Amino acid sequence: MATRAGRVVYPLYQLGGPQLRIFRPNFYMLAVRPGVPQPEDTVQFRVSMEMTKIDIKNYLEKIYNVPVAAVRTRIQYGANNKRNHKNQRVKKPDYKVAYVQLGQGQTFQFPNLFPEKEQDEETRSFEDYKDKYLAREKQREKGDPRRGGVPDWFGL
Amino acid sequence: MAASMAMAVLCRRLTGALRLSGTRSGSTAASLPGLTLNLFHKKLTKDEPLHQLRFLHTTLSRKGLEEFFDDPKNWGEKKVKSGDSWNIKQLRAKSSEDLHKLWYVLLKEKNMLLTLEQESKRQLKPMPSPERLEKVEESMKNIDLVVKEREVALRLLQTGHEKPVPGEWRQDFLGRTYWYSYKEWPIPWHLNEKHKKRKFYYLPHVNKFIRLRVEKNLRERVRKQSLERKKRKVLESKFPHLAAQSQSQ
Repeated sequence: MATRAGRVVYPLYQLGGPQLRIFRPNFYMLAVRPGVPQPEDTVQFRVSMEMTKIDIKNYLEKIYNVPVAAVRTRIQYGANNKRNHKNQRVKKPDYKVAYVQLGQGQTFQFPNLFPEKEQDEETRSFEDYKDKYLAREKQREKGDPRRGGVPDWFGL
Repeated sequence: MAASMAMAVLCRRLTGALRLSGTRSGSTAASLPGLTLNLFHKKLTKDEPLHQLRFLHTTLSRKGLEEFFDDPKNWGEKKVKSGDSWNIKQLRAKSSEDLHKLWYVLLKEKNMLLTLEQESKRQLKPMPSPERLEKVEESMKNIDLVVKEREVALRLLQTGHEKPVPGEWRQDFLGRTYWYSYKEWPIPWHLNEKHKKRKFYYLPHVNKFIRLRVEKNLRERVRKQSLERKKRKVLESKFPHLAAQSQSQ
């Protein structure tokens, strides 16, 4: 139902009208690790801006089969302070955060998606090479140890 | 074919569509119980014989928050293999029900990839295989196109109209012509002050600027054509044998 500029037009709702049903929702929802420690049953999501609490509840219940007790949302304003090389302000996008409390006494802990895995020969040698290179660069930056920290610019 | 379609009707839980089935279907089925939809195996194992599709379960989906994350075997990997995106031609061959289910599979896959992307940014690690996101986006776009085509065809047959919303060509206050689609309003037009302020005509003083715009467009078109001709000449001078071939054709 997308029209120009990606804006979807929904039919107008008036009292007594039919419930709007969307057949192929294009709303995304991603789980995030909470910055502030949350209670056991609370999961933090970033959702599309157009989603309401009821939408989020239905989304999780119907598509993911997750029992939802409560949803609270807020919109995070993305800052506009950073400047690019042309001194134009660069905006970080705004996003909606949803705190979902799971029903039926379920708990959720955000998993570690980057566990340490044993590296194969190639990556190990590459990592070794990288570490050695960085150590060499650091040594070069520090300069000759016999000069006692005095920069090269001075003297002989 | 019939058996696979029956399986498709039974399933609810759909795992990622873009995984190679040959190497990983066994592990997927083992670690995350649920149906690995036949549909996608068919897609990915297009050239493999049907006996490869033995790793199928028909259990209904378990608790869903695991679906926001990849197969645990893939956590910490540098690269994750995935198949190509769905082509429009391949999608046109599917039934509407299949497309509907595929849409939700792709949506869940997209959510999973977005979760992974955000987490990788948080942990300052590179995301494994970010091209999967583009593939999923493209597949979803293609599904949308196919469904729209079918809707348009049906609408043309039933009502004779192509567009879902009626409209007309109008000109704005700068003389530009555009397609205005009618909007649904809760109040009649004579009470709609904001809409009445909108101008769908232009005054005579705008004609000069329309003329300038037309001239600019013409100049742009001529420039594009001459550039194309110049590029073609350069290529012909570099590859005379191909130029002779194209001329003879």
